[in-house]
Amino acid sequence: MDKREREIESAELSIWFFCGILMLVYGVVLVITGIVELHDPPPNEVLLPWLEALHPTLWWGAVLTVFGGFYSIRFRPGRV
Amino acid sequence: MQFLAALLLMNVQLTKLAPVDVLILVLYFALVVFIGFYAKGKANTSEDFFLAGREMTAWIAGLSFVSANLGSLELMGWAGAAYQYGILAAHWYWIGAIPAMLFLGIVMMPFYYISKTHSVPGYLKLRFGEGARAVSAVSFAVMTILMSGVNMYAMALVMKTVLGWNISFSIWVGAATVALYVMLGGLRSAIINEVLQFVLIWAGAAMIPVLGLIEAGGWTKLKAQMAANLGTTDYGHLWSTLGSFKDNPMGVHWTGIVFGLGFVISFGYWTTDFLVVQRVLSANNLRAAKMAPVIGAAFKMAVPFIVIVPGLLALAVLRNPDGSLMHLVPESIAATTGQHSYNEVLPLMLIRYCGPGLLGLGITALVAGFMSGMAGNVSAFSTVWTYDLYGAFINKKASDKHYVAMGRWSTVIGMLVSIGTAYLVMNAASIMDYVQALFSFFIAPLFGTVILGMLWKRATHWGGFLGLLAGTMSSIGMFIWVQSDAGALHYIAMSPNAKPMAENLYRALWSWIICVLVTIVVSLVTEPVPTENLSGLVYGVTPIPHDGSTTIWQKPIFWAIVVIVVFFVLNLIFW
Repeated sequence: MDKREREIESAELSIWFFCGILMLVYGVVLVITGIVELHDPPPNEVLLPWLEALHPTLWWGAVLTVFGGFYSIRFRPGRV
Repeated sequence: MQFLAALLLMNVQLTKLAPVDVLILVLYFALVVFIGFYAKGKANTSEDFFLAGREMTAWIAGLSFVSANLGSLELMGWAGAAYQYGILAAHWYWIGAIPAMLFLGIVMMPFYYISKTHSVPGYLKLRFGEGARAVSAVSFAVMTILMSGVNMYAMALVMKTVLGWNISFSIWVGAATVALYVMLGGLRSAIINEVLQFVLIWAGAAMIPVLGLIEAGGWTKLKAQMAANLGTTDYGHLWSTLGSFKDNPMGVHWTGIVFGLGFVISFGYWTTDFLVVQRVLSANNLRAAKMAPVIGAAFKMAVPFIVIVPGLLALAVLRNPDGSLMHLVPESIAATTGQHSYNEVLPLMLIRYCGPGLLGLGITALVAGFMSGMAGNVSAFSTVWTYDLYGAFINKKASDKHYVAMGRWSTVIGMLVSIGTAYLVMNAASIMDYVQALFSFFIAPLFGTVILGMLWKRATHWGGFLGLLAGTMSSIGMFIWVQSDAGALHYIAMSPNAKPMAENLYRALWSWIICVLVTIVVSLVTEPVPTENLSGLVYGVTPIPHDGSTTIWQKPIFWAIVVIVVFFVLNLIFW
């Protein structure tokens, strides 16, 4: 990606920022949900005990938070 | 499409959303509407509104290009096909897409791009005259608006089946949201949402194959479990069972996959369907326009992970509450017995692995896919209507501002017609099958016309027009023949063992051959187009400008080679 393309994306379109901020918010929501579910697992995880031990909501929330956080900062409005 | 009719007959919803799921869905809708208002300020001229100002980077145009095709109907349908036919369904993502996408980027995009056409019908006008443009524009406008309605109804029906939502509520909320953001921001708004949707689909669906493979114990154990459950290893091979129609679950032959799917259908769709080509035309320079389909192809190759793998996993691990293996059934049986159909496999797997939060993310990804499907159709319709019908035949000399206003109005009116279509389909589900078939009538012959137009300077206006007409009519004729006499499939697919899936492949192949033959014969007996009129339109008489790449890393052809090598490796691995 050259300098001009970065300028267009960051100053005008911010498509990556939109992606980042949505994933960041979703990640935070999932992390909070995952923490709550540590002591109160959802029905599908009760049915599949191996799944309960993996805490997928928490881990996937963490991945989305990192991904979303990186893109939100990297392509934040006004950054060239 | 028949699965939607089956869903309609089911009264039991699969699951319900927790408050956190609703929060995730509401956040998505809020962002989508915000994007519409954000993009409105940048959609002042017709170039802005219809082609996003031609300032998209290769990555954005590429992701939008692949995302425009990645609707929820497609995701759910092909996950169901993977359950029904095994890994053979991956052909529609690999040989049925990758070579054509690369061909578009490397060979065809320079012509689309340097001719400065606004649409595929616009290119046909430049190359073959008003007749070919009119046929192509009218058929495309009608089809896109019908498809938008089908998407709308499909979303409403899935929401009803999975979550118990009211059908009219889903139709009107979905349509109003899409109409708002496309009307405000035009193609730019649609593209931003498509890129967002692509990320969302991966975020929402990736957990299914990941957790599924953990449960199955890895790919090797998954294949072993499938073989044990099905009593055959045929479902795990891409090519080794295609030597005969009767040796594979799909009832097809490798010639149908390679020539029918891999050549005609795939090239027809990916290189001439304006819905996807429009995304690439928004690229900010020639190199970006060439790179966008290459980038799209790289991502397209990964999609089977979230579509095909869940279907295969269901064959191995999906069980009833009593622990017995769950057997999904065809739509016709599901409608009478109340069992789950093949096409419900993705929601079933989503519910199996995803609790509150993750479920909301998965459902939001499906909703985003449906809305993106509607937006893609409506934005392409608005462009073709304004440029190739209204601007070409009704009001040729209006101001740019007037055409932008027409684009906005045609978006709203198009959406209202789509809503009407959705209600029409609700009362006669079989209409959807015909809408799908109608698309296939035009795409294969259109590819014959466009490719001859680009590569053969001797092709004439009459040759292009009559070839397109003959190919389309022959496709319709073969469709009617098989509909009225199932035995006709024997002749079209050239085998008594062919199954319905083979008909689509061979009908496309024959209609393309007829289009090409008629175009060649008519062109040879009609007056050639003067060479000076073909500059910028045809290979051999058009100086292709350098795309500006300096290093090998910047060259689209280098990355196209990388993608095609990976494509061959994948086919060998899953042979």
